[in-house]
Amino acid sequence: MLERAGVPAVSICTDAFVIPAKAMADVLGHPEFQFVTIPHPIASLGEAEIETRVREIVDDVVRILTHA
Amino acid sequence: MTAAAELPLVDIDELRRVIEDYFERGWTDGLPVMPVTESILAEFLSQTARDPDEVLLAMPHLNRACTVRLAAINAAMAGCRPEYFPVVLAAWTALKAENYVTRGIWQSTTGTAPMLLVNGPVREQIGLNSKGNVFGSGFRANATIGRAIRLTALNAFGLRPGELDQATQGNPAKYTACIAENEEDSPWPAFHVEHGFRAEDSTVTALTMRSVAHIEARHTTVPEQLAIDLAGTISRTGALIHETISACIALGPEHAHLLARAGWSKDDLRRFVFEHAVNMREALAAAGKDAVSGKTRWRLSSGHAEAVPDSTPDADVVRALGCEEAVQIVVAGAHNAGVSAVIETFGPRGGPPAIAAVERLSAR
Repeated sequence: MLERAGVPAVSICTDAFVIPAKAMADVLGHPEFQFVTIPHPIASLGEAEIETRVREIVDDVVRILTHA
Repeated sequence: MTAAAELPLVDIDELRRVIEDYFERGWTDGLPVMPVTESILAEFLSQTARDPDEVLLAMPHLNRACTVRLAAINAAMAGCRPEYFPVVLAAWTALKAENYVTRGIWQSTTGTAPMLLVNGPVREQIGLNSKGNVFGSGFRANATIGRAIRLTALNAFGLRPGELDQATQGNPAKYTACIAENEEDSPWPAFHVEHGFRAEDSTVTALTMRSVAHIEARHTTVPEQLAIDLAGTISRTGALIHETISACIALGPEHAHLLARAGWSKDDLRRFVFEHAVNMREALAAAGKDAVSGKTRWRLSSGHAEAVPDSTPDADVVRALGCEEAVQIVVAGAHNAGVSAVIETFGPRGGPPAIAAVERLSAR
């Protein structure tokens, strides 16, 4: 939605939601849409653990942003 | 049993092949569906003055919409008789007005189901059960009207489990959930009359719900004791996702009469439950739900990085309901025991419930 509005964006989802995320991308006509996936869960993590997850994916986020 | 000579003659192998084909195409909820032909569809469409191409409910985020025709096909597949179709249409109108389905709630991990409540003369006209086993099986109209909504969710919107439906567990009402109010055994005005409709109108109310919690209270004739049981069930901490919650109390007739004999109106019960559906602050803290997220307003621990105080940070006793209107009350079930239920509806709510009138064709 953001990209349609001209704002570069990256979707991040946990591995538990990869199938519905791909299904949503298909429904919206972007089967090639790239996601960054991270291990589930997120909601119950503390700040330090969140930061670790973010450090693990930051390169992927930059790669998708600059590739697009 | 009927004598063999009176049974309809069909090619069972052919019938079975058709039903199996529907399974293979994924057009079912896991149970067999009724095959639909153009002529069967026409019977359903003849029950309404509405255009078959009229959109009943759209999900723009999925690029999908349910038309009158799609609703009719799925109602027929669910096993509805054509004369049930106006109730199915009213259900879609009510679900749209309730405004949760259009915002993706059927895809949510929460796993809600659309509970339908039917009032008025249509209950008797099509044989909707409002009495014994009202949440249970055994009644074609209840079973198939609720199922018509689920099959449409699966087939018209593509909300299949593990794909676009991400429900963590779902709930049993995702097969079917349609009850009627037991107006005849209620000491109070019917639910739809309470909300401004005429008694001779028929209506469908949409109640997007998470669970039906059972209340045992056969021991008492004291209205406050019964109402405390109801309030205590509503306020359980496990139900608290948002800061406050909502509920529809389905009173068994025995409980409704217990309250009415003591002079209680529906509003008296609503007020009492609102006042008493509470948690002690320390009980919320023990469950890690004594604050809310500054971003989502979901309950979480006051020690969480996103935590901000809830709406009543200085109160030791914290309400589970945001307002009296977050509680709806209906009478349902048999007049045979002190049993009731709390339908845990989704969202904090308030304001009037989502009720739609059932269309009546003038030719009928």
